[in-house]
Amino acid sequence: MFAFTEASETRIEKILAKYPESRKVSALLPLLTLAQDQEGYITPEAMIEIGKRLDVSPAYVESVCTFYTMYYTKPVGKYVVKFCINISCHLNGCDNLMEYTARKLGIKEGETTPDKKFTLLKEECLAACCEAPVMQVNNKYHVNMTPEKVDQVLESCK
Amino acid sequence: MDTATQTDTVTLTIDGKTVTVPKGTVVVDAAKTVDIEIPVFCYHEKLGPFGCCRMCLVEVEKMPKMTTACTLTVGEGMVVKTNTEKVEKAQKGVLEFTLLNHPLDCPVCDKGGECPLQDNTFKFGPPDTRMDYNRFNRDKATPLSPVITIDRERCIACQRCTRYSDIIEKDQALVMRNRGFQNRVSTFNDQPYDTRFSGNVIDICPVGALTNTDFRFTARSWDLTNSSTLCGHCACNCNMTLGARLNEMKRITTRPNDLVDDGWICDKARWGYDFTKSKNRIAQPRKQGQVVAIQDACSEVVVSLKKIVEAHGPNSVGFIGSGYGLNEDLYSYQKLFREHIGTNNIDHKTYVDTPGLPVTHFDLLDVETSDLVVLIASDPTEELPILDLRLKKAVERQGTEMIVLNDQQTLMDKYAALSVRYNIGSDGALLAGLNAVLQGQSAGSDLESATGVASSQLQLVAEKIKTAGKVCVIYNPAALTGSAIHTLKQCLATAGGLAETAVGAIPAAPVTNAMGAMDMGVLPDCYPGGVPLSNSDAIKAKWGDTAPLEKGWSALEMIEKARSGELKALVVYRSNPVVDFPGGRNVEEALGKLDLLVVHDIMETETAKLAQVVLPSNGPGFDEGTTTNIGGRVQLRTKGLTTDNPADWKIVSMIAKELGQETAPKDVHAITAEIAEKVGGYQEIKRSAIRKEGKNRAVVPSSNGATASEEIATGDGLILRIADVLFSHDKILDAESNLAHQFQPSTVHLHASDANGLGVQEGDEVSVSGNGHEVKAEVRISNRCNPGGAVLPKVSDEQDVMSLAEAGKAISRVTIKK
Ligand code: SF4
Ligand code: SF4
Ligand code: FES
Ligand code: FES
Repeated sequence: MFAFTEASETRIEKILAKYPESRKVSALLPLLTLAQDQEGYITPEAMIEIGKRLDVSPAYVESVCTFYTMYYTKPVGKYVVKFCINISCHLNGCDNLMEYTARKLGIKEGETTPDKKFTLLKEECLAACCEAPVMQVNNKYHVNMTPEKVDQVLESCK
Repeated sequence: MDTATQTDTVTLTIDGKTVTVPKGTVVVDAAKTVDIEIPVFCYHEKLGPFGCCRMCLVEVEKMPKMTTACTLTVGEGMVVKTNTEKVEKAQKGVLEFTLLNHPLDCPVCDKGGECPLQDNTFKFGPPDTRMDYNRFNRDKATPLSPVITIDRERCIACQRCTRYSDIIEKDQALVMRNRGFQNRVSTFNDQPYDTRFSGNVIDICPVGALTNTDFRFTARSWDLTNSSTLCGHCACNCNMTLGARLNEMKRITTRPNDLVDDGWICDKARWGYDFTKSKNRIAQPRKQGQVVAIQDACSEVVVSLKKIVEAHGPNSVGFIGSGYGLNEDLYSYQKLFREHIGTNNIDHKTYVDTPGLPVTHFDLLDVETSDLVVLIASDPTEELPILDLRLKKAVERQGTEMIVLNDQQTLMDKYAALSVRYNIGSDGALLAGLNAVLQGQSAGSDLESATGVASSQLQLVAEKIKTAGKVCVIYNPAALTGSAIHTLKQCLATAGGLAETAVGAIPAAPVTNAMGAMDMGVLPDCYPGGVPLSNSDAIKAKWGDTAPLEKGWSALEMIEKARSGELKALVVYRSNPVVDFPGGRNVEEALGKLDLLVVHDIMETETAKLAQVVLPSNGPGFDEGTTTNIGGRVQLRTKGLTTDNPADWKIVSMIAKELGQETAPKDVHAITAEIAEKVGGYQEIKRSAIRKEGKNRAVVPSSNGATASEEIATGDGLILRIADVLFSHDKILDAESNLAHQFQPSTVHLHASDANGLGVQEGDEVSVSGNGHEVKAEVRISNRCNPGGAVLPKVSDEQDVMSLAEAGKAISRVTIKK
């Protein structure tokens, strides 16, 4: 079962107040964010609950949720490591970095380490092409990446 | 040019041709009017502009870049070019992208031969691809539902299907998940996509991504013999194409007629035609259980009827038809009984209704152009599915307001500006109240206690009716109790007299040709064309001096008279009283007392089992003739399959001949012509006039009956409401039906207060008893009806729910035990 916490409920009230009733579906992204912050990822139950509140079908919530790669529909590790694989980063060797990191963490792209510390994902253009290749760890960008810099960043993840 | 056309139309040039179209038209559609094809994928005229596939790029003078013709509305003086080098290059480019990951498995794809992607590629595409990477592979052929297969490799992400689910069905069940190469058409959590209208996505998918599971690999589209026919399930009479191969039904697809179906069919049409090849069909005529030649069966009927009429008079014989017959068949039957037997014991229904309307008979298109729709006792979603889509469209996209008056909750409540829920069985009182309020009087002090509706609510309804410009009243006569229909017609007459409002109505009885059965005079008290027995001059003029003028028995009366022994012989045509009449199993006992029971039907039924003579009826797919839909539109149902059995009218004519009819109709068209000549309202109905879109029959005179004052009987137990279910497990949708996954368990819906009182909980197995019978059902607690009522959806023949209803009573009560 999914339920928003009391703190979340207070936030939801504020969020919904921003939009007219007929446009309340605009609150979909903030509500998804809240659900993810609360549970770590977005469960089908959370999608149903959010759909009910915003008068849209759970399928619609799922479609929006899966469109954005920042929303997770499966549990993730404490640190989510993402490599941009789009054109600039691609030309600058992101494939090698991805492979390097995967080997180092002992997992494949899309997987989480058994200790639930790291999840490795690929990502489309992170809009920092001038400093490609780009790696994102949780909400932080690391740019002009090299294998050495990957070591350093992972090392700093406690 | 007058000012109206100047402001309402726009003139532009496309490839040098001058085009004048209504304002707001998109360039793609404007081009079609002068036979210029602009290729599209994502655009569909019923879904509106979207602009995601880029297939329709064109050049427009004064626009710096090419633009999508499906999102561009026409402008005065606009100059559009669809065949420049630049456009051709763009088209090739778009197609090359579209085909980037497409598997190109046309040889094994069901869409092959009728695929817009194939066609566009041939006409506008590049001859080759420059792609030398591997294509992106995905799962082939997985079930999207038990009846739809999705091949995601073939999907070109046009989003027609998902937009259809959102805009037309309005339930956002089908969505696009993920993005980019990864996007996939899916449902929530990969549940089956099993709505009532899911199959339409197969027809609108421009590629072979969505296919009909039942049809897959059974025939190539070019090997099918397609016939333009009508759906024979509900009274919308949607247009459809029946594709057959080697005289076997292979698939049903849409055949758009905006005046009827707006381009769609429901899933019962698409997957509900297995009965055309069912082993439960009545394949051959039978006499006392023995297969005989049709001629022998007819002779047997004639000899027995003659004997009975001689001994007991013509009124010892009766006919129960049904709205499932074609106009020609029903017309022939009533004529047989009136002319050759001499009785008015003729009926087709178990509820009270009279032909004609005191106001204009609106057609389905009027639903969209009305300011207000008043939906009374009707549940379109389960009874007349295509009307459900039309109502949603009217409310959500055409600005129509809707008021719902019903004794049970329906899916339409969600779209209503006002929902009035009256107590089950109190429809007569409610409508009398509404009539009073419309006349400016008080609704009466006991309105609320009798109906559960506050008079202030009725005031609101009346206010809305009075102030709306155009009002369309849709009501289901079959769901009204007692003689409430007469009160409803009085309401209509009152509303029709309002100065400011234009009121029309759609009588929405759910059975295929219920309207035609009324018009054809399959009634104990009216001749064809709504001529009441009192109008003896008119009757004699048309039907001769010997035409019977004594009121006949209604269908329910015939059952009772069979029980009492006054009725000796009964012909039952396309009806299964043992399961479908109130009283259910009690009917069986009554029919057992007859000297002669003849059943003429498509499928083996409980009633056919009791018959001495059984005649095969061909039914939809095999039959040909006309039906009249709820909008009064008469259309042609053509056959797509052939059989050696004679047509239904032909069997009637064989019987008539032996009873002394001199001239037999040459073919079914001769009967259609006779109907035009003899049935008021059908003068203009000629085969040539109705072939394309059908035609509204003219006004059928209205003859309203008098309201009997019924008392709501007090007593123990809850008042029973039997609700229609679209996918009911009956003879037409049998256990082997493609739609078997849609069958529902037997349930009883109770108000929370009653459930508390009874000490039952959601999901409890209970026994519901009444009228000496018992039905097992699972409890659902909801506010589907007011306290004091119990709603039982008629989910199957086996459930036997009609046995709980007392024949001839306005209300029946049931008791519920754990
Ligand atoms: S499945 Fe068909 S209709 Fe749906 S998005 Fe794909 S191509 Fe379009
Ligand atoms: S809505 Fe009625 S007529 Fe139309 S397709 Fe469905 S069952 Fe057939
Ligand atoms: S391509 Fe990697 S940040 Fe844009
Ligand atoms: S048809 Fe115009 S963009 Fe798809």
